[in-house]
Amino acid sequence: MKLKSWQMALVVLSLLALVGVGLFSGRFMIYLAMRVMILAIFALGYNLLLGQTGLLSFGHGAFYAAGAYGLGFFGLHLSSHPLLGLLAAVVLAAVLALIIGFFCVRHTEIYFAMLTLAFGMMVFSLLWSAREVTGGDDGLVGIMRDPVSFFGLLEIPIGKDRQYYFLVLAVFVLSAWAVQRIRLSPLGLALSGIRENANRAEFAGLSVKNYRLAVFVISGAFAGLAGGLETLLESNARPFMAHWGHSAEPILVSLLGGLQTFAGPLAGSVIFIAMREMVQRFTENWMLWFGIVLLVIIMGFRGGVVGVFQRLIGQAGGGR
Amino acid sequence: MEKMDRRDFLKRVGAGALVTGAGALGSGVMVPTGLWAQAPKIKGPIKVGYQAVLSGTLAGYGEFHKMGAQLAVEEINQKGGIAGVKVEIEFRDSTMKPDDAIKNARYFVDSWGADYLAGVDSSGQALALAPIMDKLDRVLMVTHAATEKLTEEWVFKKGIKQIFRMVNSTYHDSNAAAFIAKDLPALKWATVSPKYEYGFTCWKLFQETLKKLKPGVSFPAESWAPAGTTDFRSHINTIMDANPDGLYSTEWAGELITFLKQAKQAGLFDKVKHVMLPVGAAMDVLEGMGAEMPDNLWISGRYFFLYPNNKDNNDWVARFRKRWNHYPAYVSEAGYSAIYALKAAVEKSGSKETKALIQTLEGMELDTPAGRRLFRKEDHQAMYDVPWGKTKGDPKYPFKIMGESKVIPAKSYFSRPPFEGPGADPPFSS
Repeated sequence: MKLKSWQMALVVLSLLALVGVGLFSGRFMIYLAMRVMILAIFALGYNLLLGQTGLLSFGHGAFYAAGAYGLGFFGLHLSSHPLLGLLAAVVLAAVLALIIGFFCVRHTEIYFAMLTLAFGMMVFSLLWSAREVTGGDDGLVGIMRDPVSFFGLLEIPIGKDRQYYFLVLAVFVLSAWAVQRIRLSPLGLALSGIRENANRAEFAGLSVKNYRLAVFVISGAFAGLAGGLETLLESNARPFMAHWGHSAEPILVSLLGGLQTFAGPLAGSVIFIAMREMVQRFTENWMLWFGIVLLVIIMGFRGGVVGVFQRLIGQAGGGR
Repeated sequence: MEKMDRRDFLKRVGAGALVTGAGALGSGVMVPTGLWAQAPKIKGPIKVGYQAVLSGTLAGYGEFHKMGAQLAVEEINQKGGIAGVKVEIEFRDSTMKPDDAIKNARYFVDSWGADYLAGVDSSGQALALAPIMDKLDRVLMVTHAATEKLTEEWVFKKGIKQIFRMVNSTYHDSNAAAFIAKDLPALKWATVSPKYEYGFTCWKLFQETLKKLKPGVSFPAESWAPAGTTDFRSHINTIMDANPDGLYSTEWAGELITFLKQAKQAGLFDKVKHVMLPVGAAMDVLEGMGAEMPDNLWISGRYFFLYPNNKDNNDWVARFRKRWNHYPAYVSEAGYSAIYALKAAVEKSGSKETKALIQTLEGMELDTPAGRRLFRKEDHQAMYDVPWGKTKGDPKYPFKIMGESKVIPAKSYFSRPPFEGPGADPPFSS
């Protein structure tokens, strides 16, 4: 699929807007934009599993936490190089996803969902109880953002939020590009095939289990990347990152934006964070109103906000 | 469209200004007096960003924070504000989650333009906020979170000077309890406590200090209840099986109420005669238990509305009751005092800049409903005394209050700077 010209324009405009935010916005806007991008990386990776392959996991918080603690431990004990730390985050999350995925992907539907939920909560209670190592409920605190150094030749400081923003932006753009490549690759097509009819895919000679495991690990790695980025942003890692409440976030975000689309999780992340921020400014009873707003969007926009938008464009252009 | 020349325009604007001015004067009390009348250096309003938990099972705590802080703001604004400038306060739900606490603080400072931050319930939140406070560069007055690491590691050792704490830390819940326990005829102590850092830390300190004060004590049983426990029977059995003389428990809020009710049913208080509840004097617990609260349990808190029994405190409690129809909880007192600490610091330093506020608050003494507080210069911890007392019925109140009580001076049980090496931890020789 080649990008249509209006899609191309949208991508360019969004990128310009993101760079603009980094250059000209106030600190809070920059912070919110970073939170949006980090959530979007989490959700984009996650949606490879949910939207593309049709597997609902309630345990991806565990991989997010693996990334966060991975970066934390790496930073506190080995090297505080942020890029190496992020690499450690991704590797640890991927390894954990490989182990947990090995046990989960042989099941589907509710059994898969429940198993991932159980494993996720196991990681949560492990982080909570192994307090000598993980700091218990206080988590790991005081993880600092050292400059990104390239073999001592070049040092780019990321201590200030505005500086760190551009690192997050770069990682975000790379991640979005990678996810889109995966969606369009033969792997992506095979995953869609498995979603539509796993038996048929099996008969066509695909090793369904291996494909599922592969996408599980890939989505786990993206979760870890997001967790690492957040840990650098907030300078702490905490057990609740692995809690199912956090695992539900990418699901909500994907539903909001649209499961079947690439841009769905992106739009969903923007809506999720911006909407909450707006609701919180009007009422202290924000949870109730936020919930109602989410319900209305999810029930009112079938196929997500992006899905509805695409249908409208399709109608206007006489179908695709 | 009607044409309007410059003269017309000026007249109208002038008239408008006059009316507005008269309005302001009409409200009477806005006339500045004293030192700052001559040099109004501070541009108002002074904005306070306050975060407390306003959702979930602990939402009641947030409401009590709010009542205290709100009352202070109302009183101050009625009397002309701080240094002639109005105080504005905005509350946000901290949800007990560290990431939300960080977002709230960033919102307050970077978006809303807060001059001063206060609140924060959990230790995890306080520790997560610590590393960003020097970047946000506003004073954060912590009014609930108790971890001693906040003031020792972050303020004292790492030099995050923006953080102050209005309330007692874990030392009151652990070391002060040990000072009470040493005089009780009890040698074997056990605990049922929350399975997180606060519970672990308090029990560890309680044991260490009590061992120093009373050689020969032993600690035969400990049972850790995860957050959200509703069935304490297995924990109660563990304790009853160990047959201790004393029970120490840092359970708090709704879980303490559940625990006490189930323990009473199981006959724990008939078997174990000495019970110490460091957060048992919280109003939600006392009111929640009502007449069911067993007598003769040792309870304490960060503040108890009947102490000190002096005019300042009693008047405050009366004002609080009149405004909200509640007895003040300890977080209400802390929220109230946090606003008055800001007032005192701004008026003393003549500025609302963070640097000036820090300098003034360090070592400052402040009269509050809980008594005179001193913000220790080194670690920014407020030192003040809170009693420990035994529960007792009183016909004047629909709940149990402290009967026989003891006050251990805060400076005798708070660890002292530099917080390591000999002489840093109690007991002290002087």
